[in-house]
Amino acid sequence: MTRAHRLRALVMASPPVLVAAAFIGMPVVSAVMFTFGYPGGFNSILADIGQHEHLVTGTGGTLDAYRDVLANPLFRQSLWATVLVTAAATAVVLALSWGIALYLRLAGGRIGKILAGLAVVPMFIPVVIASYAILEFYSPNGFLRSLFAALGWSNAPVYGYTMVGVTFGQIWVSLPFGVLMMTSGLNAVPDALLEAARDAGATPARAVRSVLVPMAKVPTTITCTFTAISIIGSYTVPYLIGPSSPNMLGPLMTDTFQSFNQPQQAEVMAVAIFLISAVIGAYYVRANLRGAKEGKSK
Amino acid sequence: MRRRTFLATALAAAPAAATLAGCGVFKGNDASSSNAAATANGTVAPAQVTVYVSGDVNVQNLWNKNLGPAFSKAFPGFSVRVLVEGTTSASTVLARLGASIKTNQDPGMDILDGSFTTAATGGLLAKVSTANVPNLANVSSSLLTPVDYAAVPYRGSAVVLAYNSKYVSTPPKTLDELLAWITANPGKFTYNSPSSGGSGQSFVETTLTKYVSAADNAKMVAGYVPSLEGDWNQGFATLKGLSSSIYQHVYPNGNQAVLDLLDSGSIYLAPVWSDMGLAALASGGLPSTVKLAQLSDPSFTGGAAYLGIPVNAAHKDAALKLVNWVLEPAQQETIVSVLAGFPAISTSLLSSATQSKFSGLDTSSLRAAYSTEMTTDMCSLWQQKVAG
Repeated sequence: MTRAHRLRALVMASPPVLVAAAFIGMPVVSAVMFTFGYPGGFNSILADIGQHEHLVTGTGGTLDAYRDVLANPLFRQSLWATVLVTAAATAVVLALSWGIALYLRLAGGRIGKILAGLAVVPMFIPVVIASYAILEFYSPNGFLRSLFAALGWSNAPVYGYTMVGVTFGQIWVSLPFGVLMMTSGLNAVPDALLEAARDAGATPARAVRSVLVPMAKVPTTITCTFTAISIIGSYTVPYLIGPSSPNMLGPLMTDTFQSFNQPQQAEVMAVAIFLISAVIGAYYVRANLRGAKEGKSK
Repeated sequence: MRRRTFLATALAAAPAAATLAGCGVFKGNDASSSNAAATANGTVAPAQVTVYVSGDVNVQNLWNKNLGPAFSKAFPGFSVRVLVEGTTSASTVLARLGASIKTNQDPGMDILDGSFTTAATGGLLAKVSTANVPNLANVSSSLLTPVDYAAVPYRGSAVVLAYNSKYVSTPPKTLDELLAWITANPGKFTYNSPSSGGSGQSFVETTLTKYVSAADNAKMVAGYVPSLEGDWNQGFATLKGLSSSIYQHVYPNGNQAVLDLLDSGSIYLAPVWSDMGLAALASGGLPSTVKLAQLSDPSFTGGAAYLGIPVNAAHKDAALKLVNWVLEPAQQETIVSVLAGFPAISTSLLSSATQSKFSGLDTSSLRAAYSTEMTTDMCSLWQQKVAG
């Protein structure tokens, strides 16, 4: 690329970059400054509002707000719950969407289409309504327990107001994206490659392992990272389905900010979620770069 | 997300209010000749009055469906916009108000509905008297002194014990009896998490108060004394001890969620707001076997709900007009019938049918709750020590 080209590209990219810097970058920087105890600038009003703040007057920041949050057993339990729910729900979503996509790719037919269609239904049902329905479905007098009771099992477990129920809710909400991503990913693998594998004597299992899995690496990574990031910061599902405490970090952050009036502690928790999401995001960026490189070499 | 909505509405309200005020110039001329737009403080230009409501669904409905439309009907050109912000604590709203005064910005609300004693005594709310709110003449001064004459009491309510008489023949009469009942009948009692509603808050506070000296308790009601929070440890331990007897070991979100559990028969006993309980009984939201009773010595907390006008409100005159109108007997009757609330004005001004509902009840003698900041800390500590 010549220098003029590079300059033109920079000018064309600058408006979105500036908007992102002003509306995302600056609030993030100011929130992070606030967690270190700087009450100035954008934070002056927030600093007036909060209770239990750890502020500094000079230039040196303080880690007291972080110590405060880390010493809070409620935060540690909620962080742990968040990580577990995210890992479990992401794993299940990946397995289900791979299964459906694979069936559609290899067997096709009406059943495959119906299966893929049904899996996308949650996308058209608002999360609040779905969450409430899930809560009622697994409640002590809900459908599932009534069904088991009718079949003679009177001690069926109750998943309403539990983290297991929250995990079910997260799977419900995230499945459509996973299925759309994986079906299109597997459909993009040319038939010729699968036929070549078959001609060379590969069993269907071997064809999946040696052709489909490596070819669908990028959509798989995207499904994993996007699902995990959206679950880790979720609010509605755990708020409605989850127990009072410990729940996921989303409801805890909102409570800390609004009900407990501790904005600094809430922002420390947000930084924690940001750091975890950044690690997950790094995998996505790496997958994207790899995809771009492969695209170029073709 | 809620905070973003608040900012959006606050930003949207400023130009909208300006437009309305502009229209008001034209309408004002008509209104002053035909309708009684003239009040004690002269002609008031029609405006949209924004009311911030911190109460539950029932209070929101009172404003949205009854008081708001009736006010626009009585005074054409005037309207009421109701601002609701879910579970945001009173102290967050107060702090925002304080910040708007400090930075000289429109607070985005003309009237605050709630129990904002700290704001009133802290000078955030405009002073009221019979000069700018003539109907205050009918309100007991014992309700005005706690707020330093900076807010108008307009209804009252208390937290009471609701029990299903089908299953509970002799309800607990004192806090100790209640605590004993809960452990003796596991799974038949619950209260909402204190950060999500006042009825659960009152149960938690009443239990904590059991172990706090009267002197310390008075300090916590009057102001913010974080150093006394250690007094609560024993009470929190008691509450934690109850957790295995709580219905499903879960504390529902919001006052209404508890009423729903009472209605379905899942629980037999719970603390509820008197107004919400009475209204649910009247509308069929609770079976008629559910009865309300008050604990004695100490009772659950309660008190008057106030309307406060921020000192920097954009439509102060219109807000005063609305507040004065709410204290008229007709509107007080509406509050009694719709909300089952206690009236703020002397009951002798109301119809005899309404008077009979309140024989022996007095809103001014209800037990006061902790200050807003103490309550915020109480909710936070409860989440750590009891729910966790």
